[in-house]
Amino acid sequence: MSYGYGQQAGYGQPAGYNQGYGQPAPPPGVDQNFLSGIFQRIDTDRSGSISANELQRALSNGTWTPFNPETVRLMIGMFDRDNSGTINFQEFVSLWKYVTDWQNTFRSYDRDNSGSIDKTELKTALTSFGYRLSDQFYDILIRKFDRQGRGTVAFDDFVQCAVVLQTLTSSFRAFDTDQDGWIQISYEQFLTLVFSLRS
Amino acid sequence: MVDFSLLGGQYGYGGAPPAGGAYGGAPGYGAQPYSTYPGQQPYHGTPAAYGQAPTIDPQIQQWFMSVDHDKSGRITAHELQKALINTNWTAFNEETCRLMIGMFDKDFSGTIDLYEFQALWHYIQQWRATFDSFDSNKSGSIESHELHQAYQRMGYNVSPQFIQTIVIKFDHYGRRALTLDNFIQSCVMLKSLTDAFRQRDTTMTGVVRMSYEDFMQLAVLNKP
Repeated sequence: MSYGYGQQAGYGQPAGYNQGYGQPAPPPGVDQNFLSGIFQRIDTDRSGSISANELQRALSNGTWTPFNPETVRLMIGMFDRDNSGTINFQEFVSLWKYVTDWQNTFRSYDRDNSGSIDKTELKTALTSFGYRLSDQFYDILIRKFDRQGRGTVAFDDFVQCAVVLQTLTSSFRAFDTDQDGWIQISYEQFLTLVFSLRS
Repeated sequence: MVDFSLLGGQYGYGGAPPAGGAYGGAPGYGAQPYSTYPGQQPYHGTPAAYGQAPTIDPQIQQWFMSVDHDKSGRITAHELQKALINTNWTAFNEETCRLMIGMFDKDFSGTIDLYEFQALWHYIQQWRATFDSFDSNKSGSIESHELHQAYQRMGYNVSPQFIQTIVIKFDHYGRRALTLDNFIQSCVMLKSLTDAFRQRDTTMTGVVRMSYEDFMQLAVLNKP
């Protein structure tokens, strides 16, 4: 907390991430028939499970460009509990909640309803999640996560960005045993952490 | 041993690592010269060709025009991706295309012009030759032992476990082997990360002290 990477309780991550990648409990209040209809529409080859390609086609980032494939893989990796590489209906129920939670989060920070968030909005969002990072860092974030080259971040890239920051912060924390905001890290440990960001 | 002139803020700039100076101990590794690896000539800071209006190979010009779908005179990562294929006929992954566009895109527009495209084209050709030379069993992909060999020859001293991490992370087909796009991406990342680490490892112990912000910046800048 003293050096500000601490995400306190209420960190702002949609449920399902912090508690170990999409816990099974189906979200209350969501009609299973409704979800089943969505699932069947996404499962275009009627295989009974959703592949990365099917999921990518089904998801919209609001810009008419294909949904970020890394975000798709990230999500499949989180919710594919049986490691089949695809999403069955049970897994889909958790995934669907995760996506809609993120959509709501994204919309609440997209103050001007432009469909993408700019640097100021991104900073507001991530600061409210508990991150304390420099202004320069936000320039880097925009540069790295803005796939459209517009200086803003669309929904799919925002999700990827938030998950990457969360993953990195957890990794850093694991090394920062005395919690002073500094770590000792070896060459290969460092390489492994960054390379492991690929999903 | 370490060419410090190569260090500096050029994160994201890629290519093969500087010769010599094997990282993480084990002297002797990486001693071989490898001036033939991509990134040695064209990429240390500003490519020599820039600004001098180099002549354009008509063949490349033609290719540029066919890749430039919307006839904007500039190529996006998306257009590039449609044009590039791996040895096994799969499309290049999007991240590698963005990575390469970023390396050749001087004005941060996210696109490249004809001259930058020509430089990029040569760069990819060099990587293809490197890839082929390490693909000793000519399978069309780089398997883990071939990757280990490649990294060692480029001067990176990494463990077999690390090689496994890369192979698992970069192979989405479960074949435990890297296609050309993934090979390029992993090499470019490895170089940027090694340069950045080395810059901080002033005592050459292979261990550095890093703040949260510094760690986050480095990781995000160089993330796959």
